[in-house]
Amino acid sequence: MERQEARAAWALVLPAALTILLVALFPLVWTVWESLHLHDLRMPWLGKPFVGLDNYVEALGDPRFWAALGHTAFFAVTSVGLELLIGLWLALALNRAFRGRGLVRAAVLVPWAIPTVVSALLWRFMFEGQTGIVNSVLVGLGVLKEPLVWFIHPAGAWVPVILADVWKTTPFVALLLLAGLQNIDASLYEAARIDGASAWRQFRHVTLPLLKPAILVALIFRTLDAFRVFDLIYALTGGGPGTSTEPIALYTFNALLQNLQFGYGSALSVIVFLITFSLAILYIKLLGAELTGGKR
Amino acid sequence: MSCRWVTCALITVLLALGCGGGSELPGPAVVTFPISALGAEGRVLVRQLARFMKENPGIKVVQRVTPDGADQKHQLYVQWLNAGASDPDILQLDVIWTPEFAAAGWILPLNQFQPDTAAFFPSTIAANRWQDSLYALPWFADVGMLYWRTDLMKQPPATFDELVQQAQRVRQKGGPRYGFVWQGARYEGLITTFLEYLGAYGGRILEGGRVVVNSEAGLRALTEMRDEIYRHGVVPTTALTWHEEETRFAFQNGEAAFMRNWPYAFPLMEDSAESRVAGKFAVAPMPAGPGGTHTAAIGGAQLAINRRTEYPEAAWAVIDYLTQPEQMRERAEVVGQFPTRTALYDDPELASGLAIPPATVRRIIEYSVPRPVTPIYTQLSEILQINLHRALTRQAEPAAALARAQAEMQRVLNRAGLGTGEPVARR
Repeated sequence: MERQEARAAWALVLPAALTILLVALFPLVWTVWESLHLHDLRMPWLGKPFVGLDNYVEALGDPRFWAALGHTAFFAVTSVGLELLIGLWLALALNRAFRGRGLVRAAVLVPWAIPTVVSALLWRFMFEGQTGIVNSVLVGLGVLKEPLVWFIHPAGAWVPVILADVWKTTPFVALLLLAGLQNIDASLYEAARIDGASAWRQFRHVTLPLLKPAILVALIFRTLDAFRVFDLIYALTGGGPGTSTEPIALYTFNALLQNLQFGYGSALSVIVFLITFSLAILYIKLLGAELTGGKR
Repeated sequence: MSCRWVTCALITVLLALGCGGGSELPGPAVVTFPISALGAEGRVLVRQLARFMKENPGIKVVQRVTPDGADQKHQLYVQWLNAGASDPDILQLDVIWTPEFAAAGWILPLNQFQPDTAAFFPSTIAANRWQDSLYALPWFADVGMLYWRTDLMKQPPATFDELVQQAQRVRQKGGPRYGFVWQGARYEGLITTFLEYLGAYGGRILEGGRVVVNSEAGLRALTEMRDEIYRHGVVPTTALTWHEEETRFAFQNGEAAFMRNWPYAFPLMEDSAESRVAGKFAVAPMPAGPGGTHTAAIGGAQLAINRRTEYPEAAWAVIDYLTQPEQMRERAEVVGQFPTRTALYDDPELASGLAIPPATVRRIIEYSVPRPVTPIYTQLSEILQINLHRALTRQAEPAAALARAQAEMQRVLNRAGLGTGEPVARR
């Protein structure tokens, strides 16, 4: 009886398991296999010899790889940090009762609804050239003495990149946090007020601890996204000037699809996968502990 | 539309069924030709192919639409050819792809058809050779040229020193705010600009299997580009984010005294509805420097044959037809594209068709040089682009940037088995 049930259960799970195997595991295994070969579409005369870990050794010895990794980490930390802060502030504001709240909540989502490439171009136009709006405003206000060509400065080029990402994804973070805020029982604030807690103490001791799961969820989504950033930078700076805003995904794209180095590009992909995968595991552990109250 | 397709398909099926053993009859050779020509360029081609099919009833040419962007087109071609597809039969190649496709064994050597290579400009033929065989025939030529304002000066500058002086003088007199604009963004266009400066000082990027860009000439060329930006204030820093179109907009709005660009910009800027400089500009070869000569990077389209084609003879017939003087003259007249055949420049009819005096065009084409002819050009180009851009945005000194570019390019060449230079250790 029980065995029959177990068999039925297996039979029911099998199609789903096979699908996952096919769409997730197969490409992954294939990529790993490719990454162990020298496979360069531009050099067919070299064949496709097995080279073991050579591609990985080359990647790890490549200063451009490490620079790209550094850019990615910098981008993730800065943009996600800003998004969390501003998103939290927005969520708190939107959580209050005021007239037209529904409309404002919807309006906040507009940047999130714009395709990344479009918003990237938008920001590019604002920052571009000597006559872009940003330069006009900053020179007009006397912040800058003369127009700054943002995209040719290794540091300056990051400003539109980070701003565009913050502008686009803060609404998403705010929405997640807002959902978290609405789950907090209002009677907790009432009790805190009766005990004489100030607004700051209420925030610090009621809101923040209870919002932690929502913050973690937002953090997971955003850091993983930020780590794979591609389209925004591709359209905004193309990784330049030089390679000073090139993230790891863009470097991988260049190796794989621009230079058609399938082996080396696959090795890069596997490295990116390992990094995001371990980040995900780390977060899931943290989040799991949080949701079960720290007891495992 | 779809209804018509269904009808067509049905008729085809019925015919096939009805004919039965009809396959014994030699049907027309169907050759496919992917093309991304828009507007007038597309119309000329349709007209020429129609004429061709009328003269050659045994051959049917089917056009297939492909993306316009060079990178997308390249990706598509690589997918087709790598999969061993027998069509498309004819390929329109960017000048830098020929050696790549030839070395990969994807296109047919054309020597068997005995093309009349002596009739073409030598540089356009050199760009299409790989290991002593010709793999594609130049269809039309693009060359980098110096656009200059005839209302602001009497003569175009012959050297970069003269250019800088003229640009500064023009600005002191309250002329355009930019002296000289070129394509300085980090992309293929930057290489063509650099190649012209490099040639002006007598340098080269590649010699056989050796990267030689890190030379005295290379250093002078890159330093000159940088000085024109930061020391002489002639080239605006914004140009380091510019492609062809941004430079054209600046020049046609009357904001620049000089511009480096391809021939396509000429007819567009002669349109007084769009352009403030219509009738006020001309073209000349790019300036020369000490130790070198005027130099024009060469681009344009080449025609090649898929190695797996079922109809090599028919495909060659199409290519041969499209590259005949008559067809080239028509293209020059309608689209303004430069013919690759030398003799056409002595033809008075060409003078009436081209917007630019044929003698000037011929002179510029004679100064033209191909970019490095190697199957892994795009990879070498990427390394050079990055390092040039780093030097131009002052993230690196020119000497260090060139040394690094040379070392990395040589390493890639050696790994591909194409290098003959010293294996240079990574920094």
